[in-house]
Amino acid sequence: METPALPVPEARSAIPPALRGILPVLVALPVLALFQWVTNESPFAVYLLSVMGVNIILAVSLNIVNGMTGQFSIGHAGFMAVGAYISGVMSLNLKEVALSFLPVAASDQVLFTLALLVGGLAAAACGFLVGLPSLRLRGDYLAIVTLGFGEIIRVVVQNTDAFGRALGLSGIPQYSSPYMIYFWVFLTVLVARRIAGSSHGRSLWAIREDEVAAEAMGVDTTGYKVRSFVISSFFAGIAGGLFAHFVPIINPGSFTFVKSMEIVVMVVLGGLGSTTGAIVAAIFLTLLPEGLRSAFNLLGTESTLAQKVDQIRMPIYGLLLVVLMLSRPQGLFGTRELWDVLPRWIPRRRRGLS
Amino acid sequence: MSAAVQANQDSRAPLLQADGVSIQFGGLKALTDFSLTVRQGDLLGLIGPNGAGKSTAFNVLTGVYQPSQGEVRVAGQRVNGRKPHQINHLGLARTFQNIRLFRALTALDNVKVACRAQGALHPTGMGVSAKLSNALVNYRDWWRALMLTPHFQAEERELTRQAEHLLEVMGLSHRRDEEARNLPYGEQRRLEIARALGTRPRVLLLDEPAAGMNTREKADLMVLIRKLRDDFKLGVLVIEHDMKLVMGICEHITVLDHGETISRGAPAEVRGDRKVIEAYLGDSYLESHGGAA
Ligand SMILES: Nc1ncnc2c1ncn2[C@@H]1O[C@H](COP(=O)(O)OP(=O)(O)OP(=O)(O)O)[C@@H](O)[C@H]1O
Ligand SMILES: [Mg+2]
Repeated sequence: METPALPVPEARSAIPPALRGILPVLVALPVLALFQWVTNESPFAVYLLSVMGVNIILAVSLNIVNGMTGQFSIGHAGFMAVGAYISGVMSLNLKEVALSFLPVAASDQVLFTLALLVGGLAAAACGFLVGLPSLRLRGDYLAIVTLGFGEIIRVVVQNTDAFGRALGLSGIPQYSSPYMIYFWVFLTVLVARRIAGSSHGRSLWAIREDEVAAEAMGVDTTGYKVRSFVISSFFAGIAGGLFAHFVPIINPGSFTFVKSMEIVVMVVLGGLGSTTGAIVAAIFLTLLPEGLRSAFNLLGTESTLAQKVDQIRMPIYGLLLVVLMLSRPQGLFGTRELWDVLPRWIPRRRRGLS
Repeated sequence: MSAAVQANQDSRAPLLQADGVSIQFGGLKALTDFSLTVRQGDLLGLIGPNGAGKSTAFNVLTGVYQPSQGEVRVAGQRVNGRKPHQINHLGLARTFQNIRLFRALTALDNVKVACRAQGALHPTGMGVSAKLSNALVNYRDWWRALMLTPHFQAEERELTRQAEHLLEVMGLSHRRDEEARNLPYGEQRRLEIARALGTRPRVLLLDEPAAGMNTREKADLMVLIRKLRDDFKLGVLVIEHDMKLVMGICEHITVLDHGETISRGAPAEVRGDRKVIEAYLGDSYLESHGGAA
């Protein structure tokens, strides 16, 4: 049973309207700095947190399309690849460049941010080109086209010298830090939540619920679908860029259909439409293989077995999806957010989209 | 006011015009040479036996289907080939025969979707400059939402206020925060009307708004529809199966059968029309009375 909405006064009403927009950023920056300082000691923790952060960005951004808008994209890794390669190549070429008026470290981070943005925008542009024709049509065209897009990217990379062909691209400066990655996690989540709570988000939900009715009520369904897809692609590109700057090498193998499916599973597992659900699922699915791998290593089994864990990921995801569809088709949280499913005694927000 | 409007019928500009509209599905002529004019203050009826083409007529008028012949004009503009949302922006809103609410959204959000959608956009946006200005308005709006600007917050409050008002008009205030799918049937139908009103239409098309209601609810609804027409200065076109009801409130009735307009006129004229009686006796009358198999 649905609990009736409590007469909660407007959330955050004590904060002046002009401050509400910027406040989360002001809070996040020092928290992230602390976070960076705490985690800096252990390289493994940094690596794991980085992978997790990238996965959260991917899942939360895909959720905008697959969850909120009700479309079905299965090529998110393709957009990630675009961001990774574009920003990676850019950083490689700007390695020796430094902005003379800044300290070296700061200059690196500025150039890194620039590379990320260029990668994100390139991915967004691809999103526009892929989305515009396929989102006009109803149904499963988007799935087919995004699937094809991922493959095209792979083939292009494998045949381009500048992208290192099948061997991959190594030597990209390792600019990524938990601080930078989680700043983007924060931005992605902020954008997703603010979309969900705005009239744009309501239009996306309406499209998900009933496209014909949404169109009849004056919602430019194609326009909204394309815009949500472009935003989603942008953040996938950012995630790719962040990824490229902390792994030793990127190659087409990092952005295969398996990766795309992994992200889809995260979104479905968390509950299509739930941002916090996507976050929780991304964390879980990042830790699961790592946990298994560490467990095998601890048990002293030879490393080949640990590698096998990687190889059986796909069947595990498939199985997970099947079990999920059978037992809880709406995902862990459904369309609700974490605070909607918390125990009753915790004060909750008013039900609704915002 | 209504009487005054009646007196100078022709001076009221037509808000919705269908002119010789036809559409086929494969070999089936679902609608043939359909013509109709709706002006402000009109309360028109569209009736006919099952499968007569009434809903199809609505779909053609609202741009869901493209007519193969004829012309549809909304607010004086030819709308053939335009998308439903563009036609809606010109002032045409509708409800659906098989309720199509945004089921997982609250009643309030259902209406807010509609209130928003007609926003600040250039309604007649066909040219390049209109498209460009629409795009700019769009990006500005997204930016405002992402930045949570004071302007955005004020706009959001205003939307809530409008939607709450419409819920109140339709007697749904107590359902404000309930998911649409959890509402009883009759309230879902009313919520659909509230949602349609959210787009600030000048013409409202209602596809069997009283279906599934009991006699009393039906009578109440009809009174409400008349009130909406007056308060919101609408033209209303209603599809309704219950003859008595339609005859009771509509000033002018169009009768369809097999896609053809077989009769039109005041309720009294239509009721006496031999073709109408045949159509109804031949089809649904016998069916509903268990006559012919
Ligand atoms: N999309 C479609 N494709 C093919 N045939 C259709 C389509 N839509 C409607 N039809 C057919 O057109 C005819 C008219 O249908 P319509 O829904 O307009 O009838 P109606 O007058 O609304 O009937 P009812 O009172 O049952 O709602 C029917 O024979 C129907 O099967
Ligand atoms: Mg019908």
